[in-house]
Amino acid sequence: MADFEPKIVSFLCNWCSYGAADLAGVGRAQYPANVRVVRIPCTGRMSPKFFLAALREGADAVWVSG
Amino acid sequence: MEAYTEKIREISERLLKDGTVEAVIGYRKGSVENSNEPCIVRSSEKINDLVWDSNCRINLANYLTNRKDKVAIIAKGCDSRNINTQIIENKIKRDQLFIIGVPCSGMTKKEDSSDLQENCKVCHHKNPVVYDELVAAEVEETKVDRYEDVKKIEAMGVEEKWEFFKDLLEPCTRCYACKNACPLCYCPTCFVDESKPQWVGKGMDPIDVRTYHFLRAYHCAGRCTDCGACESACPQGINMRHFTKKLEKECFDQFAWEAGLNSEERPPLDTFKLDDPQTFIK
Amino acid sequence: MKELMEHMGIEPGRLQFSWISSAESTKFVDVVKDVTEKVKALGPNKNFVKEAS
Repeated sequence: MADFEPKIVSFLCNWCSYGAADLAGVGRAQYPANVRVVRIPCTGRMSPKFFLAALREGADAVWVSG
Repeated sequence: MEAYTEKIREISERLLKDGTVEAVIGYRKGSVENSNEPCIVRSSEKINDLVWDSNCRINLANYLTNRKDKVAIIAKGCDSRNINTQIIENKIKRDQLFIIGVPCSGMTKKEDSSDLQENCKVCHHKNPVVYDELVAAEVEETKVDRYEDVKKIEAMGVEEKWEFFKDLLEPCTRCYACKNACPLCYCPTCFVDESKPQWVGKGMDPIDVRTYHFLRAYHCAGRCTDCGACESACPQGINMRHFTKKLEKECFDQFAWEAGLNSEERPPLDTFKLDDPQTFIK
Repeated sequence: MKELMEHMGIEPGRLQFSWISSAESTKFVDVVKDVTEKVKALGPNKNFVKEAS
């Protein structure tokens, strides 16, 4: 279990967290590579469908950030 | 019950005769024992079809969506709350409706006519919350713990919960009777019929079945009145109210909200208030 | 949403929410680390995965 690397599907708002992720990249910040980013136009676009679809396809967790 | 039927017929006849409404949406005796079916009466000759007894489980608000004519509708407590929901969601206008309110003492189970339906046992709104005319005096409201069954599941562990719902949904054949009986499920294209992208598989895979019930319940969050139409429509006798009831409880706990009590206020997931709870967010 | 998920038998940490401004890259890094840690502790998702057919 020690080497378990989870797949985390993250839904990031274009204007908030996606910007933050971009900035983190520009600043060469180090962070775990377990997150797979899906950009959504706004957190309001988030729907329970997305989240269930991600889990069904085998994601270990879903992270929504605005 | 006889008196209710008489009064319903009397009001309906008057409304049809003087042209207040074009049709009356009510119940008539079904072809199967212990079940009444919905019927739309358009002329006073058919007025004697209308009945009222403890088999009127169907929620008639289901037949209001996008109607253009002026109708009278027979409404129990739960139906009247769903009528309010339809008005809020602009599916019908209040002035198109003449609501014949029926104070309801609960519907009985299909299999056992001496026992009330589970949702009727814990009903807090037996009297219609909106009506133009009542057929009888209001009945006394009961105050019981509505969420006993929800609390029982909440107390379970993660695996136990998963197994519980697995067993619950085992017999589901995806006939969609629950969504057809539901007065909230009126989307022109339901997510289960969408194929591009396909959100949920169309087969009997347990995960697909669970996804369907989960999403359907979520679509009803803050709108469900726990009328029990879904459960009574299920040919397999699945109690899918375990899903909707949980969300109903959450809406009550977090937003102090009960669906359909008036026709102005929009449901909590539809609005933003500064004091909305946000403990889930980091 | 989260409440029903958990009600249905999915572990609490499988769905997480946060709020980060576009100027907060350090917070972003912190939250990513935090989320990853939590999910690592939970282990792989077994329940809601649809078997490939």
